[in-house]
Amino acid sequence: MSWVKAMSSSGEDVFDENADELGLLSKEWASNMKKRIRDGYVDGIDAGEEASLQLGFNLGFKEGAKQTMAVSRLRGIVSAISCWCQTEHPENPIPASVIDLLQQVTQHEEQIAERIRNTLTNPPPSVSDISENMEDLEVEQTDPGCCGGKCKESGCCKGAAKMDLDHPRQPSQLCSGSTGCSTSSDEGALNALLQRCMDLVSEMGLPMELLGHIQELKDM
Amino acid sequence: MDGEKGQSDLFDSILLADERFRGEGYQEGFERGAHQGLQNGRRHGASHGARLYSEISFYYGFAITWKCLLQRNVDAKSRKRVKVLEFLLRLIQNFPLDDLQSSRLQEDTENLRTKFRQVCSMLSVPADFKDYMKTAEDISF
Repeated sequence: MSWVKAMSSSGEDVFDENADELGLLSKEWASNMKKRIRDGYVDGIDAGEEASLQLGFNLGFKEGAKQTMAVSRLRGIVSAISCWCQTEHPENPIPASVIDLLQQVTQHEEQIAERIRNTLTNPPPSVSDISENMEDLEVEQTDPGCCGGKCKESGCCKGAAKMDLDHPRQPSQLCSGSTGCSTSSDEGALNALLQRCMDLVSEMGLPMELLGHIQELKDM
Repeated sequence: MDGEKGQSDLFDSILLADERFRGEGYQEGFERGAHQGLQNGRRHGASHGARLYSEISFYYGFAITWKCLLQRNVDAKSRKRVKVLEFLLRLIQNFPLDDLQSSRLQEDTENLRTKFRQVCSMLSVPADFKDYMKTAEDISF
């Protein structure tokens, strides 16, 4: 009766092979669908970035402008005073108070520009970057369990990506460091420089009209 | 017939599933890309905005101060200088900063620089305040 045994065992083999094939098909399906999601995701990222880049640029442009406008105009004012001293009184050196103020204003402007440059070259890590890294790490770990044949649900393989999207941040919340926004200490330093400039104008007997132009920088 | 219809439904649903999965991925990717694009654009915009406004604001402060200083003088030379300064101030005030995609922006920036250099030359002061003139970069993506 050994042939019966052989038949039954070969029958089992055939059945197992079918099961394997189903499993394989199922795996292949899941992997294909996962690939579709990823392909779509990659295309979507490119399209999304393309669509919002100019909008972000315009928004940032105004923010950057706002940060340098007052201090740069003040540097223009003090530079003009310095040049004027030189041309009006070429026999005298430029007053030390003017030179010192010009240096302070230039330094302050440089600090702001430096901060903006730093933000550009070393963007602060955002929550989305961190979760993306976590996602990258997790992909390898969850792959076998997640898409091992049981899972055909669309939500399964995208948990990590969803995590970030569940908490989209509003533009108004991005200001903390994303464009090197001005701080209250900046404002304090600028106000002190504006005051020094106004004192200088009074001390040197320069036209009072200038005070108005300096004063208006406080509200910029 | 039923069998054929069933098979074609199956194929349709496979094709649809393909599109559906891709579409879902795309949607999530798009949201994420839009967020990234906004951030990147914003940082670059801030850098450009800071630079351009810094330059133009400097010219404005310089010109308005010289105008105030020269206005007291009544001689012809001073009056002429004040007129040129007023022209530069008008140019700055009409600068198309609100329309960043304007094709005029680059041209107007160069024009402003030239006028500023002329003003400096007229006032007999050196125009090398900062390396503004060296950089002529695009103002948009």
